[in-house]
Amino acid sequence: MGFISVPELDASSHDIDPMRPDGDEFLLAAVQSILLRRERQRIHELEQEVLALRAAFRDKEISQQQHTDILEAELKLTRRALRNAEERVRELELEVAKLRQRAQLDSEGLMARLLPVFGNLVSRRIRESREEMAEALGPVMGEAIRVQIRESREDMVEALSPVIGETVQRAVAVFFRDLQRNVDAQLRATFGPQGAWRTLRARLRGVSPAELALRDALPYEIRELFVIQHGSGLLLARYEGAEEQTADSDLISGMLTAVRDFVRDSFQPTDDGQGNLDELQYGNLRVLVQNGRSAYVAVVLCGIEPPGFRARAQQLVDDLHVRYESALRAYAGDPESLPDLQPLLASFVTSVARGQETAVVRKLSSGQKAFLAGGALMSILFLGVACFYLQFTIALYPIAFPSSTPTYAATATNSATPTPTFTPTVTYTPTPTFTPSSTSTPTSTATPTATPTATPTFTPSNTPTPSHTPTQTPTPTATGTPTSTPTPPGAQTAGNVWVRDAPDVNARLIAAIEFDTPLTLISVSGSWAEVEWVSTLPWLPGVQRGWVPFSWIALRADVLPITATATSSATPQR
Amino acid sequence: MKVVQKKICLMGDFAVGKTSLVRRFVEGRFDEKYLSTIGVAVSRRTLSRDGYTLNLLIWDLVGGNELSHRETGYLAGTAGAIVVCDLTRPNTLETLQRYVHQVRVSNPQAALLLVGNKADLVAERMIDDEQLMAVSQALRTEYFLTSAKTGQAVEEAFNYLADRLETIYDPSTP
Repeated sequence: MGFISVPELDASSHDIDPMRPDGDEFLLAAVQSILLRRERQRIHELEQEVLALRAAFRDKEISQQQHTDILEAELKLTRRALRNAEERVRELELEVAKLRQRAQLDSEGLMARLLPVFGNLVSRRIRESREEMAEALGPVMGEAIRVQIRESREDMVEALSPVIGETVQRAVAVFFRDLQRNVDAQLRATFGPQGAWRTLRARLRGVSPAELALRDALPYEIRELFVIQHGSGLLLARYEGAEEQTADSDLISGMLTAVRDFVRDSFQPTDDGQGNLDELQYGNLRVLVQNGRSAYVAVVLCGIEPPGFRARAQQLVDDLHVRYESALRAYAGDPESLPDLQPLLASFVTSVARGQETAVVRKLSSGQKAFLAGGALMSILFLGVACFYLQFTIALYPIAFPSSTPTYAATATNSATPTPTFTPTVTYTPTPTFTPSSTSTPTSTATPTATPTATPTFTPSNTPTPSHTPTQTPTPTATGTPTSTPTPPGAQTAGNVWVRDAPDVNARLIAAIEFDTPLTLISVSGSWAEVEWVSTLPWLPGVQRGWVPFSWIALRADVLPITATATSSATPQR
Repeated sequence: MKVVQKKICLMGDFAVGKTSLVRRFVEGRFDEKYLSTIGVAVSRRTLSRDGYTLNLLIWDLVGGNELSHRETGYLAGTAGAIVVCDLTRPNTLETLQRYVHQVRVSNPQAALLLVGNKADLVAERMIDDEQLMAVSQALRTEYFLTSAKTGQAVEEAFNYLADRLETIYDPSTP
């Protein structure tokens, strides 16, 4: 800086003429020009820039002017529009005033004109955005219904009764369908061990088995099941029922725990845990709470749970604690530290839904225990007395009833058709003896009509059963000698019959006995019976004895059934 | 994704704004009406954390000078607590020590946070930062100035507590 190089001086020297008179001045000017050349050049450049800036400024000024002109034009337009709008507003205000005046004068007519418009608007709005309309009208509707119910209850009842009736009808139908299904299931189990157990339970509880079956069949449904940690209220597991629930299970478990703690602390809990909340009810939903040491189970159900439900819920709680108590107690919100509880919950719900009796032993009340103990004691006593009596009877039987004396059990029926069916198991052998057939069908063609025929059966005891099938042949096959004299059995004639002096159709006739004459059976020989009767005939008075065909004798119900009849082809002798 | 549940409690004197803080945090709104909490109200907010989802169960306990046996029972199993004071009422700061003591009796490892609420009422503020800092140091915790009304620092306070839960809580502790 300030240094002048020789070439520069040399370069500038060719413009200086030292011989000129004003040479010094010229030289000075030359030196100045040399020294100030840069400044001059810079001044020149600046002048050029000033000129350029002036030109640019002019251009910008012109464009600004143009922009200003445009804005002014727009402003004029806006002002004009504003004036128009103000005029329009004034006109509208005038119209509104007129309308208001008209509305005041003719409100009904205006309503009539506006109603279709509003109706269409509302309809269109509902079609376009139904949800928004529902949200907007919901609170109003609720309040409107409340007001309507308060002010005109009967109208509301009339309006709603068809709907409510149908709703109730449907609900009742669903209820009874479930009930019917359950009753059917109960009926299928009636003859099984469960049915017997139910009958026993019903008797113990003092209700009829039908009532208990109905009680068991009442429908119910498990909506949700929660396993909740004590204290913290953290949800450990949850089981959802058939219907998907939308409630926040975390909040439910928290608030349920809070309510449970509140109730426990508010109502003086006892040390034995009896002060815990057991049940909450809201509408038709109930929350059953079953407590455990580290966690408790809350079952949300609809309907009436069957007997034993709580015991099974307690069994679930016990199972949870037996298997996973340490994990349940230590749970701090990390699901990985918790075992999978779902299978246990699903098993519980399934078993409860099937109504199966699990291994849970129901605790009986003291009265029930006393009743059972008394019943058992009485049964033992009765059994002992029965054994003693049986032994006593067996010991004394041969003395009281000799072996030759059968016991009789006869059933006499009057039948118009003499088709007696005899099933003897013993041979009654008074003198003379005979062997009756076990089952005989009369083949006699001479069937007496209109005469009652006894159909006696008997089951003698303490006598041997014949091992062969006796035939109708009147051949004595067994003999017996009774040690005691049997009382001759009574009978009567089954019709008018001839009495002979021997068991033979060719024997001599003694007399004719009339129908229904009392007889005393003395003995039997083949198809003939020896009888005694009291004759009233003048030539044959008093007790008489003779033989008559056995088929014409009707034994009385209280006498020995003589079983030999049937295949004889005896023809009544008159 | 794994869902982790944590229970936290809000404690403090009545009308300090516990329920409003919860409402702001859970529902994102504020209500001028004051309704005293009866017993406890449980709310939930799910936070997305790194690698898992945090299910924050917030127990808003009844306000009062001192919790009864019943209310201390609500603290069972809590993983953390927010003790709240009202910046316009100095006495609400003095009682915080007792609440913190009850929380630590219930769970010594519980994460704690001190919150001075109603920070929007600047003209009426009676508790300054120095007082809050002194109390928070005594309680060995941090403090936040929040406003449930404007939402100031509400999210930050709860998120801070969520971070603390993640770092100090030992799940193996019963």
